[in-house]
Amino acid sequence: MVDHIWKTGLFMLLLLTSGAVYGHHSFAVEFTAQRTITLTGTVAEVWFRNPHVRYYVEVVNADKQIENWDVRTSSPSLLVRKGWTKNTIRVGDNIVIKGHPGREGRKLLSVISIRLPDGSILGQGPGPTEYDTTPESQP
Amino acid sequence: MMPSAARKSTAKIIVMISTLLLTAPGFGQNTIEGDWMLYLYGPGIGNPGSNEAKPSIEGKLSLNQAGRGWTGHVEGGPVSVDTKGNQIEILVDSRDLAGFRFFRRLQGEFTGQAMMGSFTIEGYTEQSEPGGSWIAKRFEPPQPSQTRGPVDITGIWTPAPGVDFRKYSMDLTDEAASWFENYLAHYDHPNVRCVSPGIVAMVAWGAYPFEILDSMGRLTFLYEVDSEVRRIYMNGKAPPEYYPPSAMGFSNGNWNGGTLTIETQLLEGNIRDFRGEPVSEGARMHEQYQLSEDGNTLSAVITLLDPKNYKQPPIRRRKWVRNSATEIYPYECDPDSFYRQMYNEDKLDMYFGRSQRRLIE
Repeated sequence: MVDHIWKTGLFMLLLLTSGAVYGHHSFAVEFTAQRTITLTGTVAEVWFRNPHVRYYVEVVNADKQIENWDVRTSSPSLLVRKGWTKNTIRVGDNIVIKGHPGREGRKLLSVISIRLPDGSILGQGPGPTEYDTTPESQP
Repeated sequence: MMPSAARKSTAKIIVMISTLLLTAPGFGQNTIEGDWMLYLYGPGIGNPGSNEAKPSIEGKLSLNQAGRGWTGHVEGGPVSVDTKGNQIEILVDSRDLAGFRFFRRLQGEFTGQAMMGSFTIEGYTEQSEPGGSWIAKRFEPPQPSQTRGPVDITGIWTPAPGVDFRKYSMDLTDEAASWFENYLAHYDHPNVRCVSPGIVAMVAWGAYPFEILDSMGRLTFLYEVDSEVRRIYMNGKAPPEYYPPSAMGFSNGNWNGGTLTIETQLLEGNIRDFRGEPVSEGARMHEQYQLSEDGNTLSAVITLLDPKNYKQPPIRRRKWVRNSATEIYPYECDPDSFYRQMYNEDKLDMYFGRSQRRLIE
C-alpha cells in the first residue's frame, strides 16, 4: 500500500514537473504538433534505449483489427532522472497514451502523457521539445 | 520680397521635395546601416519562466543598403527589412523547441543610435509566446570580462533556456543551398542512426548536461549526449601530424581576463543543427565563454566560420547553470529501432539509396 502511494505520488510529481524533452532531431519532421490523439493499447515491447525510448503498442481499431503503434518518448538518461525507468512500463501493461500522431498517417505517436494500469499518469509536458527545463529530481 | 504666387510655388516645391525625401527608401536610412545588438523582452519569450526585466533573447542584427531597400541578417541568417521614414519592420524566422518554424514581426522606430518597438508572433509554436518589446543598440565588439582570469569553470553544467534566437534559415551559398534542398532530416541526420552530429551542433544543444575538467594543461568537456569527449588545449599545442578531421575537431583555448576563447579546427564534414545544413570539412568554430559574477551561470557565443557553405557566419548563444545535484549519465545509443522502422515501412532501399547524402565534404 505504502509502495503504491509512493509510486502514485512519484508519478503525479512527474506529471506536474516534467518538462518536455526531445533531444536528437526535430520533432517537426515526423510529428504533427497541431493534433493530439489518445490511444488505448497493450505494450508488446519495451525499447528503453537511445536515441529515443520506444514502446511498441498493440491497439485494436474500430474494425477490430490490431494496429501496431510506435510510441516514442525522450532519451533514457533524461527520463531516468525523473524516476521513469525501463521497469516503469512493462510488456503486457494496458496503457492509455495521449500524444502527437505521426505525419502522413504513420502509426507513430509522440507522448504527451501515459496513464498506467494503476491509474497514475506519466507526463511529458505539453509536447516534445528540445530540452528539459525541469529542475533535477533525485531518485 | 517674393510675390505671393512665387512664394506659394516655392513652398509647394519644398513640401514636395521634403515629402519625397522623407518617404524615399534611401533617405535617413543610412543611419541604420551597420551592426546592432537586438534584445527581445517579454514574459515567456524563449523561456516559459522568463520575466520582462532582462532580455530573454538577444542576437546580432546586420543591416546593409541594397539599392533602394535593405538586406538584413540576424545571427547570420537572412531577415526581411522594410523602412518608411523612421519606421522599421523586421521579420525574423526562428524555430521553436520542437523544431517548428515561426516568425517574430518586429515593428518600431529608429534613430541613428537606437531602435525600439514591439513584436508579435506569427505561425504555430509548440510553446506559444505572447510577443513583447524590443530594442536595438549599436553593436560593440564584446569586451573581455574584467574578471581576472582564468576563472574556475569546472563542474557540471545544465542547459538553461533563453538567450538564443534559434534562427531558422541561414544565408547558404548556392552550393550549400543546392545540397540542402533534398535533405531529409529524419533519414539523413546523423543522430537518428546514433552517429555524432559533431561539436557545432552539440555545443548549442539544449537537452543534456556537460562536465568541465581542468587538468594537464587542458580543459576537458564531457558531453552526456553521445558520450562525446572534447579536449581544449590551453598550452598552444598544435595538432599532431596527420591528425584527422573529426566530429569534435581539435580545439585550442586561451584566457583573456575572465573570457575563455576557444578556436576549433579539423572539423569533419557534418551538420550545423537539427535542420541539417552542412558544415564543411575545414570549417572552424569560434567560441567565447564567460562566467557570471556569482559563478553559477556560464554563457557562450558560438560562431561557425564556414564560407564554403554560409555567406554570413551563423551565430548561436547558449547559457548553462551550474548543477552539482547531478552527474553525467551513461549514454549508449542503439540504432536498431531506426532501421526497424524503415524495414517495417519498406523504406530501406530508399535509405541506402541516399547514402551519398550522409557524406559531407
